[in-house]
Amino acid sequence: MRRNEKPDWLFAVSLFLLLSLGLLCVYSASGSQRGLFTHQLFFVLAGIIVFFGALVFPLRFLEESAPLIYGVSLILLVLTIFFGGGPAGRWLQLGPLNIQASEIAKLCVIVLSARWLPALKRESVPGGVSLYLSTVGVLTALTLLQPDLGTAVVIVMIVFGMIYWAGFGFNWIFLFLSPLSAAISSIKFVSWITFTAFLCWVLYRSGARPRRWVFFLVMTSVIAAATPSAWGLLRPYQQARLTTFLNPEEDPYGAGWNVIQSKVAIGSGGATGQGFLNGSQNELAFLPARHTDFVFSVWAEEWGFVGSLFLLSLYVVLAWRILVGARRSLNPFNSTIGAGTAVFIIIHVVVNVGMTLGMMPVTGLPLPLITYGGSHIITEMLLLGFSGNVIRNWRSY
Amino acid sequence: MRSSSSFNERPYRSIMFITIAVFLVLAGKLFELQIVKGGYYRELSSRNHIRSVVHPAPRGIIRDRNGVVLADNVPAFTVSLVSVEFDSTNAMLLGNLLRMDQHIFRERLYAAESSPYRSTRIISGLTVEDAGRVADNLYRLGGVSVDILPRRRYHNSISFCHLVGYVGLADSTRVFVGELSGRTGLERILNQRLVGKHGVVREVVDAHGRVVERLQGGDVEPSPGEDITLTLDTRLQLTADSLIMSTGHSGAAVILDYETGEILVLSSVPGFDTNQFVGGISSDDWNRILNHPGKPLRNRSWATAYPPGSVYKTVSAAWLLESGIVNENTLPDPCYGTFHFAGSDFRCWSTHGRLNIIGALAQSCDTYFYRTSMLGDMDEMAEFSRGYGMGAPVTEILPGEASGALPTRELLNELFGPGGWGLGNLMIASIGQGEVLATPLQIAVTSALIASSGDLPALSLVIGESSSGRTWETNTSEETFRIVREGMLQAVESSRGTMHSSMGCLPVTVFGKSGTAETGSGEDHAWVTGFIEEPQPVAFAVIIENGGHGGVVAGPVAAGLVEKMLEIAHETE
Repeated sequence: MRRNEKPDWLFAVSLFLLLSLGLLCVYSASGSQRGLFTHQLFFVLAGIIVFFGALVFPLRFLEESAPLIYGVSLILLVLTIFFGGGPAGRWLQLGPLNIQASEIAKLCVIVLSARWLPALKRESVPGGVSLYLSTVGVLTALTLLQPDLGTAVVIVMIVFGMIYWAGFGFNWIFLFLSPLSAAISSIKFVSWITFTAFLCWVLYRSGARPRRWVFFLVMTSVIAAATPSAWGLLRPYQQARLTTFLNPEEDPYGAGWNVIQSKVAIGSGGATGQGFLNGSQNELAFLPARHTDFVFSVWAEEWGFVGSLFLLSLYVVLAWRILVGARRSLNPFNSTIGAGTAVFIIIHVVVNVGMTLGMMPVTGLPLPLITYGGSHIITEMLLLGFSGNVIRNWRSY
Repeated sequence: MRSSSSFNERPYRSIMFITIAVFLVLAGKLFELQIVKGGYYRELSSRNHIRSVVHPAPRGIIRDRNGVVLADNVPAFTVSLVSVEFDSTNAMLLGNLLRMDQHIFRERLYAAESSPYRSTRIISGLTVEDAGRVADNLYRLGGVSVDILPRRRYHNSISFCHLVGYVGLADSTRVFVGELSGRTGLERILNQRLVGKHGVVREVVDAHGRVVERLQGGDVEPSPGEDITLTLDTRLQLTADSLIMSTGHSGAAVILDYETGEILVLSSVPGFDTNQFVGGISSDDWNRILNHPGKPLRNRSWATAYPPGSVYKTVSAAWLLESGIVNENTLPDPCYGTFHFAGSDFRCWSTHGRLNIIGALAQSCDTYFYRTSMLGDMDEMAEFSRGYGMGAPVTEILPGEASGALPTRELLNELFGPGGWGLGNLMIASIGQGEVLATPLQIAVTSALIASSGDLPALSLVIGESSSGRTWETNTSEETFRIVREGMLQAVESSRGTMHSSMGCLPVTVFGKSGTAETGSGEDHAWVTGFIEEPQPVAFAVIIENGGHGGVVAGPVAAGLVEKMLEIAHETE
């Protein structure tokens, strides 16, 4: 067996192009604050180093260190809840570094799921499913408390995709989502009854043993009962953040305004755009958060429909190449890591671009590889490095 | 080897299918925005044509306990400007039409430029004529708009200037430039409740500033602020003002209901017209207020601490009784008019002879207090007085409330150094001079506590809400209260009482205590305090600055207030 396959050129080229276009975007969006661009250049260079590190990192070590990564993530998430700083209280200051723990939670959940899901599918481990669901549930709950509802929902969707990839059917996905559904259904008694009835039907259909019946019914009841008091424990400003996410119109001077401006910017790009550094909305500083959440609007305004489609296609190609590599990989862990990364990229792009187009709620989710910021670029480059590793070493078992 | 691939074949196809489908939806939306509506959005963006117009919520109305309006809103014309749509060569024209002060006008234009896409108020409170001149020229003034907006109006503004306060342009604008917020008084303290929620409308305008369409979605209706009902009684407040004014001096009066804790009067004379401040006060008006000899900006009823003089004797008498230094029958050596002690002369205002404590209160004999207080402890007296509301603010809500002062060893060591003071400081403190300071509100509280035997509820300024930061701990027995009340009754009823001439002829029983506080410079401050049970259970305190003798000058003001209360009670029957 050869140590190395020939590189996947499409994967490499799309990644390289995305990074370059991202830098152009941030340069244009940073306007008079060119210092932001210098920071971003530094983040991207650091990301490239991380990428090559992950490309040659033995994936078996990664698999074995899943519990360690889980432990570190839990500690960081808990620390952020109590000592978090920054504009939304989601940043943890460790010496000179500002770490966004919810980014690490995403990484952790992918490694954890890749470690457990294929194993659970292959052979039945007593209590394995419950253990897996609890560990991921705790991680999601802590992310929710950051407070970062957007990331928590994304984590659930990534796990959703990975469960599906690992070969579990619909019943499993429903059971996995049951803690979250229970929490949401507790708003009204009727919805909780409906949910519980549905849960019983799924359990019956999947031929669950009595122990599993007890586990799911007790767990969902406890969660549904505890949700209202957990809500009461949140501080008022944390509650406000969650409700603003659910209803951005509540904050007409903030989120709603941004979306309107973003749509004007994108629309004014037309077919071929207003040209690099010529976007009137952007250059007049009319667009809010233009180097972070709404960076896609800057691109769409300057490069138009053609440029936007090109950018979106790059993401599709990147995800496609990773999925192809994952499908081909002989090692179930490697395969699932790749699938998780692809789902990660797709969900982020859809949620972020959907938001700038006014089709999704306003969240702080970044556009992968492009939005200004260090934490998410490092996380993404690490995952893409592992994916490149998976593509390269598809034969290793 | 292929098993793994076929194992993942189905998920691979589904995920790729979903991905492409979702990206096609995004592409479809992009197509709609950029190709189908691209021209429309480009037109919009080319001149920044969306603007947010804020519709301010009407501020809550402030009323007195009988529903008399103290602050409300009237429609007034407002001229606003969206800076990016305004041709700055028209600035001269607009300034002339508005007949505004050049300096203020420049300032407002600058403020408008700092938030160029939002409508900024240039001037508010215009009359129909002034607004009409601008409206006639709107066709050549792009970006300018004339709106009807609520303007704040104060009733009896001079009487309630310190309590209600006034609004002005907010220092830090949360929502829009030109936003009003409470600057002083309750307007400031209760601003959050009064302000309401502002509405916002998004409009698309053309190059001339004409509204082409209202952008759908995101409109927010304004919701008015909360109305506030105060415990104050305007009739009594106005009476207090005119009575104090008729003395020809500055002064203050406080009346509070000692059964409910509600404050009925907080009068401070002279006052100023808060309506002058609403649209921004002119420098002439401001200088007039500043240079007024009566210093109208000084709030005398709760923000100024005075030496209380003999009105403090009710508290020091209670302390003498409670600490066991005297009882009802104690007869110290007689008052000869001057008390020689440690090489100093401690004067009494008259020669009283031998008195018990009831007589000493009624005739306000200083010597009685000199001879007895010297046997007590200064820190104990201060601690005791603190329980009567002195030495710290008595409410949480009144802005800038003065603490007053009480002499303690620590304070005197700080002021004069250890050894720099002596027993004399305690002796003159016991008659409310020296280092004792109190506000008229605090003095009214001491009388209310004596009237209610210490059961005064928390003070309240807003109907149904406690506004007090203090709980009272008088540590006084019912017997002591009875003796002090008897002394206060004799001050009015007995022919030798200090308040007999001014309040003795009223048709209701009055308990009182006068005070003539030495100021160190100028004429003495005239004080009275006390309480009545009929027609209303109220305690009162009146001070006339530099008025002279308390019973003679402040007494008639208190008497006039009691007469007004009788008149009101008679009318309601």
